[in-house]
Amino acid sequence: MDLHLRLQLFLRSFFLQAGWNFSKYQNLGFAFIMLPVLRRLYKEDPDALPAVMQRYLDTFNTHPVMAAFCFGALAKQEEKVAKAKSITEYNEQVMEYNGIRRGLSITVASIGDRLFWGTLKPLSLLLAIFIWMLLGINFFNTRVLSSFPDVYVYLALVITFISYNAIALFVRWKGLQIGYESNEANCFGLTCFDWNRAIYNLKRVGLVFTALLLLFGVYRYFSQMPKQDVYFLSRTILVLFFVVLSFFTRRFRIPNTYLYLAVVITFSVVCAFV
Amino acid sequence: MTLTAFILCIVASVLELDITYAFQLLISRPIIAGPIFGLITGDVMAGVQVGIFAELLFSDVSPLGGIIPPNGIVATVLPLILYHQGVALYFGFFVGVLAAILYSLLDTYLRKARSPWLVFLEKEVDRKPTVINRIIFGALLQSFLMAFVFISVAAWISSQLMLWLTPYLTYKLHVAFLLAYTAVPWIGLAALLPAFRLKAR
Repeated sequence: MDLHLRLQLFLRSFFLQAGWNFSKYQNLGFAFIMLPVLRRLYKEDPDALPAVMQRYLDTFNTHPVMAAFCFGALAKQEEKVAKAKSITEYNEQVMEYNGIRRGLSITVASIGDRLFWGTLKPLSLLLAIFIWMLLGINFFNTRVLSSFPDVYVYLALVITFISYNAIALFVRWKGLQIGYESNEANCFGLTCFDWNRAIYNLKRVGLVFTALLLLFGVYRYFSQMPKQDVYFLSRTILVLFFVVLSFFTRRFRIPNTYLYLAVVITFSVVCAFV
Repeated sequence: MTLTAFILCIVASVLELDITYAFQLLISRPIIAGPIFGLITGDVMAGVQVGIFAELLFSDVSPLGGIIPPNGIVATVLPLILYHQGVALYFGFFVGVLAAILYSLLDTYLRKARSPWLVFLEKEVDRKPTVINRIIFGALLQSFLMAFVFISVAAWISSQLMLWLTPYLTYKLHVAFLLAYTAVPWIGLAALLPAFRLKAR
């Protein structure tokens, strides 16, 4: 895959989900991304292009970042389809193409969901909060600070943005090449990296970060209150109540949003009668 | 609607595309979008606070498969528009969360509404393959317009409603909403602990 084509696929890959629909998911975006590859392969036979495009408009659903592996591997497979010398070979290669598309998209989606949505995204959130707390923003205090240097705010933002996107953009760019140059034997390049180990280690870091933040938050929250004050006790009960309630609702898969709305209604009713 | 609110609606609608439809660079996540909106309203720290709270609150729902989480951009921009107009942040946040849930339902409807058009679009692509470029541009434009109309209407209705309601909001109600708002970071962080639970490798 030459640099020009790779760059085209890379830039177009940002629009994979543009036409997301519940019938065929990312099919429109997928066809849009692969168009430069198809136009190049079927330059000599433009009449074949519409029929080929219909194959790309079939159901496709995967993780938007990890999808780069699919694009690389399917570009390579499409070359084999385009070079088929007989109908039998063509059918075999198309079957192979369908198998790769289905199998690889499910595999990379599983890795991508766990790595990017389940680990890196919350980890970069914790990183930003941690930096802000170290710099003095106490976000457990609901009073809006007025005299805080904006440069600290943007410093944490830039670090958060880079920490997530450096990995995401690298995977998008490198995945195209690895997927194109690999084959079934090494699972289209997915075996070149120990994803499970990376996810496990990052989750361990996330766990430590969250526990530290909770402890740091508890310390900052109570350090402002004089001990043996009536508010100290009520605050302790409230914090414990929310933390325990959150664990409890998580166990029953109740989203935080509904918990917050329930808390608003409960407090409004309680306050009305107190 | 003030000029600041109008600019916020446009910026929010552009950033909303980043959630699903284009880029996914996560500029749209509340923790980044919040301070950007705060910069426009002139109160960056309010943006930071709403950003952190919204992100922590929605951190337990991921966009896996067909799941559409409550919209973080809507939950961030509406409280800041209301705060800019003098409404307390804890009331604005409540309105923002409700609107975010409503927007995710609207987004689900949009994605379902695209399905009947697929047959027509596939025929168009069959006729001329390069038409896919226009289809993608059209889908982005449609998503942007939906976000812009929703955020503008929600901002206008909620600001009118909150300004009308303000004299009737009792002290007790202020305390109740503030207490619930104080709970958000604790709820969010406590939910993050199980999210990082270590499974067997």
